[in-house]
Amino acid sequence: MRRYLTAAKRYWLVILAILAVVWGAGLAGAYHEYANTYESQATIWVLRASPELTSSNPEDPGTPVIQTVASQQTELFTQLLQSDSFIRDVVERTSQRSTLERAANETKLLADVRKHFSVETLGTNMLRVSYTTSDPRTPVEMVNAAIAVRTERVLQARVTSTAAVGTLYRSEFDAAQKQALDAARDLDGFKSSHPGTLTATDEAHQAQLQLAIDFAQARLSELRGRADRSAVAAAVLEMSGLEFEVVDEPRQQTTPSGGGRAAVLLALVSLAAGALLVALLVFVGALLADHVAGPLDVGRLAPARLFATVPRVAVGAGAGGSELRPALAAIAFDDGDSPSLSA
Amino acid sequence: MSATLVHSFDGIASRIDATGARSVGFTSTLAGEGTSTIALGTALALAELRQEKVLLVDANWIHPSLTSDARRESAPGLADYLARKADLITAVRSVERSRLDFLPVGDREAARPTLRGLASLLANDVTHFQTVLIDLPPVLTGEMYVLPWATLLDHLFVVLREAATPLPLVRQALGKIGLATPEIILNRTAAATPELATSLVAAHRRLA
Repeated sequence: MRRYLTAAKRYWLVILAILAVVWGAGLAGAYHEYANTYESQATIWVLRASPELTSSNPEDPGTPVIQTVASQQTELFTQLLQSDSFIRDVVERTSQRSTLERAANETKLLADVRKHFSVETLGTNMLRVSYTTSDPRTPVEMVNAAIAVRTERVLQARVTSTAAVGTLYRSEFDAAQKQALDAARDLDGFKSSHPGTLTATDEAHQAQLQLAIDFAQARLSELRGRADRSAVAAAVLEMSGLEFEVVDEPRQQTTPSGGGRAAVLLALVSLAAGALLVALLVFVGALLADHVAGPLDVGRLAPARLFATVPRVAVGAGAGGSELRPALAAIAFDDGDSPSLSA
Repeated sequence: MSATLVHSFDGIASRIDATGARSVGFTSTLAGEGTSTIALGTALALAELRQEKVLLVDANWIHPSLTSDARRESAPGLADYLARKADLITAVRSVERSRLDFLPVGDREAARPTLRGLASLLANDVTHFQTVLIDLPPVLTGEMYVLPWATLLDHLFVVLREAATPLPLVRQALGKIGLATPEIILNRTAAATPELATSLVAAHRRLA
């Protein structure tokens, strides 16, 4: 631990500079995010589950799907926001339409818009749709447009579905009508070919033909009723907007809002990054400075032992640390050039 | 020689003298640890202490700075002796004033230090010296020039520079040497001796 503290003391200026840059930039960014973020949100009351969403598990109808109406609608809204066409429809209803038309990369712009949307469940029947950006006017437009496009999309899907059912009923009605006419024609033919008193067998056959006519007419009547109901279903669905009621309309914010979480996140990330960088610096510094700090420190090299120490020579002013070596060399070798072995 | 000059190496010299060692080597982990300076200073201090000739051998095949200090770069030396191209009489330079005999490295291309050659040198050809000091290259960069000496010398010191030599590299160097109890000389410790510096400079100026 001591070596890390020593390294921290050694690099305190660098540490201070790193913290100043990273933390300063992070906190400034966090403040900017907080002060320049505007959010508009709509709170929506969901009365009942949409018929399209009430189906249970198709693989096992006996198993109930545990899902509240609010969570169903939240999921639906979230899924709609994933599609580019939905986002495009939303943007085209706002003041950002011109931006979208001028955008060189439409997909990127739509993805950027998508990131600013947020849908969250507030309870079993309530959900909230919000949009956050640096412009105070855009969020309210976006939220309103998103709700409107969502409603249109859902209604359109229902009407299409209803029309398909109506077509099916009409084709079945036509077939049943033809079947009834055939049965009536068969009965008339039988009556004209059997005037007078009928035998028991003929009476039975005539009764069967009559029964076929009754059955065909009953089916005709039922199909007519179904076709009529499907024709008016679209109109009924138009009125079902009550199931998705905006309780709190989105409002244009005059003061910054909604940027608190992002600002806190940014600040925390910068604080953590600064601390991490400093820790890394201290670790590397301690690693590089992993040396013998003094005679007592030689114990770290066990079983090696300290034999002796040579003190650092403090030389006088104007003299460098390399003075020792030339002085020693001069004393050792400056004795004239007389190579000889003397022992 | 200034009497105070040897003070900084008195500690090493006294300890070596106390052990009765005859042959002593100095190596290091990396270059620039002060090994050659310590070898030189210790040789002078031992000559002063024992009042007899000391043979200082420059066996640093990588950076023979003592040979340069003695201006014996082109003179025959240890390598020539090992290659049997020269004998010690012509290779060793004697300095009467310092009681120092110096064997330069010689022509390093001529031969490398071998166990047999060095054993012969220490056992036969320098027996008239009671003290033989060897300056060796760093272990990590000149392992092949250090290891042959390791088993022949009475002491092989590893010089470390206080607050500079990285411990992992020191451990690596000690592992390469393979001695059971490696001995460390810690160079440039914080205990400063200002009077020594003054005397060194004065001695140098006197000689100049």
